[in-house]
Amino acid sequence: MKVTGTAVLHAPVERVWSALNDPAVLVRTIPGCERLEEVGPDRYRMTVTAGVASIKGSYVGEVALTEQQRPGSFVLRASGSGAPGTVSADVLVRLEEAPEGTHLAYDADAVVGGPVGGVGQRVLTGVARKTAGEFFRAVDDVLAGGAQEGAAEPAAAVPAARPAPEDGPLPAPPAAPGPAVHVPPPPPPAAAGGQQPFVLGALVGAGAALLGALVGGLVARRR
Amino acid sequence: MTTRMFGAPVQRREDARLLTGGGRYLDDLGHDALAAAFVRSPHAHARVLDVDVTDALDVEGLVAVYTWEDLPERVRDPLPLLIPHPSLVAPRTGYALARGEVNHVGEPVVMVVATDRYVAEDVAERIAVTYEVLPPVVGVAAAREAVHLVHEEAAGNVGAHLVQGYGDAGAAIDAAPHVLELDLDVERSACVPLEGKGVYAVWDTDEQSLRLWSSTQTTTGVRAAVAAKLGLPLAKVECTAPDVGGGFGVKIMHPWPEEVLVPWAARLLERPVKWTEDRREHFVSSAHERQQLQHVRVGFDDEGRVLGLDVRLWHDHGAYIPYGVIVPINSSTQLLGPYKPGAYRVEFWSLYTNTVIVTPYRGAGRPQGVFAMERTMDAIADHLGLDRADVRAANFIQPEEMPYDFGLTFQDGRPLVYDSGDFPASLRKLKDLVGWDGFEEQRARARAEGRRVGIALACYVEGTGPGPYEGGHVHVETSGRVNVSTGLTSQGQGHQTILAQIVADELGVPFEDVHVTTGDTRRFGYSVGTFASRGAVMSGSAVALAARRVRAKALRIAGDALEADPGDLEVVDGVVRVKGNPGASMPLGTVAVLSNPLRYAFDDTARAATQFAAGGRGPDEPPVAPGEEPGLEGRDYHSPLRSTFANGMHAAVVETDPETAEIRVLRYCVVHDCGTMVNPMIVEGQILGGVAQGVGGALYERMHYDESGQLLNASFMDFLMPYATEVPPVETDHLETPSPLNPLGIKGAGEAGVIPAAALFASAIEDAEGFRISRMPISPSELFHLRERFAAGEVPALRRGGPAGAAPATPATPATPAPSDEGA
Repeated sequence: MKVTGTAVLHAPVERVWSALNDPAVLVRTIPGCERLEEVGPDRYRMTVTAGVASIKGSYVGEVALTEQQRPGSFVLRASGSGAPGTVSADVLVRLEEAPEGTHLAYDADAVVGGPVGGVGQRVLTGVARKTAGEFFRAVDDVLAGGAQEGAAEPAAAVPAARPAPEDGPLPAPPAAPGPAVHVPPPPPPAAAGGQQPFVLGALVGAGAALLGALVGGLVARRR
Repeated sequence: MTTRMFGAPVQRREDARLLTGGGRYLDDLGHDALAAAFVRSPHAHARVLDVDVTDALDVEGLVAVYTWEDLPERVRDPLPLLIPHPSLVAPRTGYALARGEVNHVGEPVVMVVATDRYVAEDVAERIAVTYEVLPPVVGVAAAREAVHLVHEEAAGNVGAHLVQGYGDAGAAIDAAPHVLELDLDVERSACVPLEGKGVYAVWDTDEQSLRLWSSTQTTTGVRAAVAAKLGLPLAKVECTAPDVGGGFGVKIMHPWPEEVLVPWAARLLERPVKWTEDRREHFVSSAHERQQLQHVRVGFDDEGRVLGLDVRLWHDHGAYIPYGVIVPINSSTQLLGPYKPGAYRVEFWSLYTNTVIVTPYRGAGRPQGVFAMERTMDAIADHLGLDRADVRAANFIQPEEMPYDFGLTFQDGRPLVYDSGDFPASLRKLKDLVGWDGFEEQRARARAEGRRVGIALACYVEGTGPGPYEGGHVHVETSGRVNVSTGLTSQGQGHQTILAQIVADELGVPFEDVHVTTGDTRRFGYSVGTFASRGAVMSGSAVALAARRVRAKALRIAGDALEADPGDLEVVDGVVRVKGNPGASMPLGTVAVLSNPLRYAFDDTARAATQFAAGGRGPDEPPVAPGEEPGLEGRDYHSPLRSTFANGMHAAVVETDPETAEIRVLRYCVVHDCGTMVNPMIVEGQILGGVAQGVGGALYERMHYDESGQLLNASFMDFLMPYATEVPPVETDHLETPSPLNPLGIKGAGEAGVIPAAALFASAIEDAEGFRISRMPISPSELFHLRERFAAGEVPALRRGGPAGAAPATPATPATPAPSDEGA
């Protein structure tokens, strides 16, 4: 499955690069990401909980950032598996200066196996593309808020793409338990019991921003 | 002696259950299954440029969306050409999901799977398909003109072309004293079963097996087709037809796209998936029938005997031709009816149109063929000033000419040979029943009251019970219960009743002890299906033969036990006994016990079959005799030489309102010969049902396509099916000329009622109005307009005249060449 797309981020290339390589940002912006753990240089282990009606579950995967040509491009290799199936993907991300800030292009080649692979190409690519858009908007929001240390930020830094909880005090986001483990701020209520169309994206998404965005996007449909 | 069940008007044992809501139809199954829905083409002819699902992704409960590109090998290949035939010149079949182009409104383009049907429909609604619309070919006349093509490779829109005949029809016509030509036109109609199609599939991942339920007329066909499409061993696929709410032909077509896609998705998703057709879907994506243009040229003598007959048929088969040419072959061979033209030539072109495919609908091409022939008979009679019944009688094949071989090939690839029938006797019965000879007095009385009435009769012969075979299995349990299974399916015909009647008599057991299963591949894997009025003929014969095997085995075993010659035994009321010595006997259940030597005594009857029980076989004999199998059961098949030909004649009296042109049916009479009747009450029911569809097809039902290929009346608000109020009381009489082609002498009765109706009503309305009717069906408004055209001299008058005041303003000079008298 090939998915390509572009996004515009309103920050200089260097800042975008940093954000996309910052697990604390990623863990908050990748839909469905619960936990992101550094297991080596530029290698992360992630946990994503997501699911659609027929495909629900917890997914564990690994993501590696390679071929980094700071600040112009990097390749993200991700693989993950859960009850609904397996995903592996290579995503080439290119960043370029643009009048608005940064022009980003991604080019993903994913292999999807197991039942999740049976939902139809148009659904997979459609969700991936749409989620990527949402992911980049979330990243853009973080960038706009100047928030680079997302996990420790107050609730106000939660990306605007996710509605804030409507009632009850928002528990203070836990401080990052250690330098290598990141958990996102608590999800809005809508996500708690909401049906999430596709895990896949989350999975991969957890791994890295883009992949997460792409496939992870699949995860995070929360309407 | 037990009452003989064969031939008795036994009440249908299905009815108590079906009439009290106990039916179990496809949609009663699989409540927890995922549901499928389809995005179908809104255009009759278009290229599919893009499918965009973006707006659908947020619908909660969406599981999957498939287009042709998602389908794997085999599933993505064209659907099978089910019935290949040498006459097919450019056979095209559709795809399970459209591959880049659509050829009729309703063709499936995208499949959606969701948590339930509501969600699936919501998703389908949000999927945007971009089309490039192409010029459509709508109606058989447009197809024949071929200004546009449905498929580039089908030149002239011709999918099949066939010429058959005997003698030199052209020369015989040219040499005949009288010649007439007729142009005739029959519109589209359809089966319209109250239950549409439906498929439910459950994939068992551990077993790697598929359980499939389909509202089908052939479970063995669906099973084999799905196994082939999914690349599964046949042993891993089982198919069952639950109660089926009407078939009438449309459900013999298989595999439908949904029958392939639903199991495929169930296997892929590892979840049960179900699809139930809705009413609009049935109208625009199942199948229709009937539409033909016909040209008849006939030469005849002064008595009305047909010396030469040349018929050309332009048959509309819709967007694809998966079911081959069965329908036009039926039209072209069965239009001969009970008659024997001196020479015959028939040529048909089966044409593509951008409308729903055509597959057999009850009658399957015969109503159109009979329309051509009976309109011709009426035209001959009017031309010569002869009685319409007399002209028919002059052309009859006589009983002593049976079996009658036309030298043509029938739709089953076998010679067109009538096996039996007594047409003169049938005609006498019909004339008596309707009061044919006294009708002119009735007409005169009606005229005196200002009423217009007309009478008509129409004859047909119907090839029924084609092969290649059906099988039956009969098994007697130790309790005496008899299980009967056959592979063909039931759609309400009463198979559970008639097959039990047959087996009860063959075996000598009470009717109540016999239990019948149909259409379940787990119980009987070899079958062809239920179509062409073959259920009773084929499976009835097969279960009779199987029961005879069981009886013979029972007599062998009981003979050993009772120390009697099997030839001296009889089975009465489920008890095997020595003739003339009722004391020496044993129940059939005990014979079943003896037939199956056991080691373990799990109940009282089993104890009698264990190794230390008395009465077993001797120590020098194996417990199961050589050549025998354990168990009191038998299996056999009926494979006839060729089809058996039933026949019938219908008569009707109609009244047309002089003001509103409303058409009322005053009387409807049927004389029917389906050989030996297993159950006259069920035969009668079949005939009544057929007449109801015949009335619908002649006076109400049609598929109203506009010029862009949109079906305008694809709902029960706009498609007029007759209610009980529109179906006349039917008076019936029967003749029984047994068929020599099967052990029971029976012929099919399923389609009979519908076949002559269009011809019959055209003739009766014509008789009431006094002008030619050449197009059916006919509505009151069409009759009204015909009257206006007749008054304007545009429609030819009958020579025998019509009601006072209905004569044309000017003497009729036919605007069309039909009918003309070239030879006079």
